Amino acid sequence: SQPLSGRQAAELQSKVVPSKQILHSDNMEMEPETMETKSVTDYFSKLHMGSLVYSCTSKRKNK
Amino acid sequence: RMEASCLELALEGERLCKAGDCRAGVSFFEAAVQVGTEDLKTLSAIYSQLGNAYFYLHEYAKALEYHHHDLTLARTIGDLLGEAKASGNLGNTLKVLGNFEEAIVCCQRHLDISRELNDKVGEARALYNLGNVYHSKGKHVASAGTHEPGELPDDVRNALQKAANYYEENLTIVTELGDRAAQGRAFGNLGNTHYLLGNFRSAVLAHEQRLLIAKEFGDRSAERRAYSNLGNAYIFLGEFETASEYYKRTLQLARQLKDRAVEAQACYSLGNTYTLLQDYEKAIDYHLKHLVIAQELNDKIGEGRACWSLGNAYTALGNHDQAIHFAERHLEISREVGDRSGELTARLNLSDLQMVLGLSYSTNNSMMSESHVVDNSLNGTRPRAGRRYSMENMELMKLTPEKVQNWN
Repeated sequence: SQPLSGRQAAELQSKVVPSKQILHSDNMEMEPETMETKSVTDYFSKLHMGSLVYSCTSKRKNK
Repeated sequence: RMEASCLELALEGERLCKAGDCRAGVSFFEAAVQVGTEDLKTLSAIYSQLGNAYFYLHEYAKALEYHHHDLTLARTIGDLLGEAKASGNLGNTLKVLGNFEEAIVCCQRHLDISRELNDKVGEARALYNLGNVYHSKGKHVASAGTHEPGELPDDVRNALQKAANYYEENLTIVTELGDRAAQGRAFGNLGNTHYLLGNFRSAVLAHEQRLLIAKEFGDRSAERRAYSNLGNAYIFLGEFETASEYYKRTLQLARQLKDRAVEAQACYSLGNTYTLLQDYEKAIDYHLKHLVIAQELNDKIGEGRACWSLGNAYTALGNHDQAIHFAERHLEISREVGDRSGELTARLNLSDLQMVLGLSYSTNNSMMSESHVVDNSLNGTRPRAGRRYSMENMELMKLTPEKVQNWN
């Protein structure tokens, strides 16, 4: 390649690397969301219908 | 018989979702809805779980639909706790969809009912959700704005400050409750909020707490997040050596967890950090690693960034052949992905490099010819002076919080 002018090379080097963009993609890592949960079994156990749930569950397991 | 059948399907849906197979779970829940039930509380639970399953599957429009059904139902049957939960879930979903004002109303409802029922756990969770909504809102407004550097707009600052306040309130309660996992989450997001506000020391303190709790639980994903966030904060404190140490821990864990995307991000961060440390060989090493993974993942934007960074680092080392190679590649990719500012940057880089190399602008290469045009349009006395800053300037630059916000 062609010889570089020392001054030009120095000038180019001094301009190296933009500042703003360099950190552009520093990803911020967020914590996960928490969702509220409901369950059909919770409801049945609250209603003291555990036996029904039990029968359903065991029936399912036997399939 | 029909009742039992709906319940059976719902139970199977629950089991599948708990086992992590939301897609299959959704099928069973939808089948359960098809069969139907006269028990509205069971139906409410099914809607709620369908909403959450769709949320985890990132199908937010569907999630919104089912959480909305759940809320309507909970109100109809006068189930206050159920209404609180549905409101919270709806709020989270609206937040993801960018509807912050409605999200705030929903999360506030979750909070109000929890307080009414003297439900401390629910209250804490609602506060965390509210913090998240205000954090997202602040970030969203900041990214949409065209404000000048040095000015964090009032609405952004207000939203972020509110987020910080909600996280602090949440922390007070979960600390009382001794809920370490919840503390970990709150510290993490509080740290990120301080970071955006430019309170980097506070950000470090919060992320250190997050790190401690992650280690307690052996939660390596959370540990990795904390390292990464600590690295980011130390960059803006100007402590690049410390930042590089944290990014290395991030990289180590990303590799252990076999997460290529996160590994790429860590390499990119390390490349930038070594650039700030003016160790261009190491910077190139990490940017090349980032490049390889970006290509592997077919991440064009990442690939463009890598080429741009590599072009700069090779320029710094005086390796102009490689610098031109990557600047050309950057130009190609910028065009491919339609990144206009990237395209312009790449052209200017190329014209600079060509000037230094003493190349003629009138080459047969159309790319070069076009860069000639750009260069002419900017012709005059050192048109590029304000365009780029040297790394020396970077280090000396006063990194005000406002600037940081603007950079994101």
